[in-house]
Amino acid sequence: MALEIVVMIKQVPDSQEVEIDPVTKTLNRMKARNVLNVADDNALEAALSIKDKVDAHITIVSMGPPMADEAILECMGKGADRGILLTDRAFAGADTYPTGLTLAAAISKLDHFDMIFAGEETSDSSTGHVGPGVAEFLGIEQITYTQSVRFEDGYVIGERELEDGVEIVKAKPPVLITVRLGSNIPRRQTLRKKIDALRKGVESWTLQNLGIPPEWVGFKGSPTVVRSMKTIKEKERSAKRITIEEIGQMVKELSDSGVLKMEVKEQ
Amino acid sequence: MTGLINAVPTDKPDEYRNVFVFLETRKGSVVKSSLEMIGIGREIADKVGEKLVCVIIGNHLEPMAEEAAKYGCDKVLGAESPDLEDFKTMPYAHYAAEFISEEKPNIFLIAATHDGRDLASRIAVKSRTGVTADCTVIDIDPKERILLANRPVYGESTLAEILCKNHRPQMATARPGVFKVPDRVDGKNCEMDIRKVKVDPDLIRKEIIGFRPKEEFDITGADIVVSGGIGLGKKEGFSMLQELAEELGGVVGASRPAVDVGWIERDHQVGQTGRVVRPKLYIAAGISGKAQHIVGMKLSDVIIAINTDPDAEIVKYSDYFINDDVYNAIPAILKEIKKLKGEKVEEITT
Repeated sequence: MALEIVVMIKQVPDSQEVEIDPVTKTLNRMKARNVLNVADDNALEAALSIKDKVDAHITIVSMGPPMADEAILECMGKGADRGILLTDRAFAGADTYPTGLTLAAAISKLDHFDMIFAGEETSDSSTGHVGPGVAEFLGIEQITYTQSVRFEDGYVIGERELEDGVEIVKAKPPVLITVRLGSNIPRRQTLRKKIDALRKGVESWTLQNLGIPPEWVGFKGSPTVVRSMKTIKEKERSAKRITIEEIGQMVKELSDSGVLKMEVKEQ
Repeated sequence: MTGLINAVPTDKPDEYRNVFVFLETRKGSVVKSSLEMIGIGREIADKVGEKLVCVIIGNHLEPMAEEAAKYGCDKVLGAESPDLEDFKTMPYAHYAAEFISEEKPNIFLIAATHDGRDLASRIAVKSRTGVTADCTVIDIDPKERILLANRPVYGESTLAEILCKNHRPQMATARPGVFKVPDRVDGKNCEMDIRKVKVDPDLIRKEIIGFRPKEEFDITGADIVVSGGIGLGKKEGFSMLQELAEELGGVVGASRPAVDVGWIERDHQVGQTGRVVRPKLYIAAGISGKAQHIVGMKLSDVIIAINTDPDAEIVKYSDYFINDDVYNAIPAILKEIKKLKGEKVEEITT
């Protein structure tokens, strides 16, 4: 039987195109295109490299507005077999809890799954909390922050990047895996697969398909609320002009204030 | 297993008291970022006159619990078993959630390390509550006992204050390196409640089969970063920066264009697509200051910019601006540092 793999993805504003507004000092997201979250592209690549070796079927699941089907089609153009977009006004304004619940509810509607992949975090929210939330809703184990994943003798082996090193973890499916940003080089779409993807299309699922109450999802289902947004005050910096001749004085100031430690090696 | 179930508001939030912090352990000791959680946890517990409880899960916990107590908590609550020796998400989340349902804490703080984030949202889902990720400012409303969890968003330009008013506990993961480690004091009073547990075999579904300690260059912990950009003009400029960095006990950083042209390896890159650094001193040599670089270094204590262009973006972000060629400025800084060190030697010997 083919290995059933789910890859959870999100369409986000392109962080390379986001600029800091000189007046408000906030990111100007209006100009940015919407793209596939880069870490999710790495997650898809990790899934595809397993599919390169064993018989596998990959389903993309994403929650977002109708236009997010572009990102799913891109994943199918790279080799995913099926695409499902969870799109409903009721899903809007969700924090990590109902986002995870919505994704998990959709995945539980699939006949079967062995592995669920996701990027380590999204570039627009940077929580890293949704993947583990999905694993909890589905009652499965997880291997997070992986820099490489392989499937061997019926086990998933993931190398997790931690603060002090790399931990190698072995788990039996079903398991959820999150993938480090930049841990692999995602493949490009092929023309043939792109055409196939357009022919197949992306399935649109609404709240009705999931069979959970409307008050469980979106803003209503979110335990947290944003009370305020404040521009982070930039530290006032004086940009004091220093000539080459004044460098000695600057070094002395930095030494006196403890920024530079003039530790003299013992003779 | 939690199952597909919603978050539920707590009936009687007043019954939820005290502050939990999670102690992450590595090779028999509590990690520094967890001690930082004791610091901020203590602060908010004191504001409302509540207790600080440390939650620790693993094996051979007593020495670690004793050590944590020296940083100032009222109680250590532990689950101990040989099966918990390594970090495993499902059993760890299980015991943390059990402690929550037993003790009903108002707040639960976890350092936002990789293991901390791995665990936090699973505990939150089990407890059917919310969690705010990667906070850098944490406070409490002393009257309502509402956690004020603040996290930077939009590339660190905006601080969002996030509340979890109706669900308990109010959970947050907090960014490592932001909060202070409290002073270590011997002989503090602390209640120890370490329980030997028998882990349900169904919760053991992963196995740690190896560990490779970090070897690669890591720029994020350095006190001093000397960075170069495309303004260096040639690869050899980085040797000059390396010499200065070594003299200062720091490391070399770089902007993305300098990495892209191959003058230096990618693990030196500072910025949105590289690393975020917060050193005591950041020297930007020949870096124009594109937004994507600024995000990675603007939190440095002191910034020196060296640039021939007086209108370069980087100037606005600098404390000192040397409007000159990097090949004049860097050797001059090096010379002055050697000179000052020489004077210190004289002071000692005379």
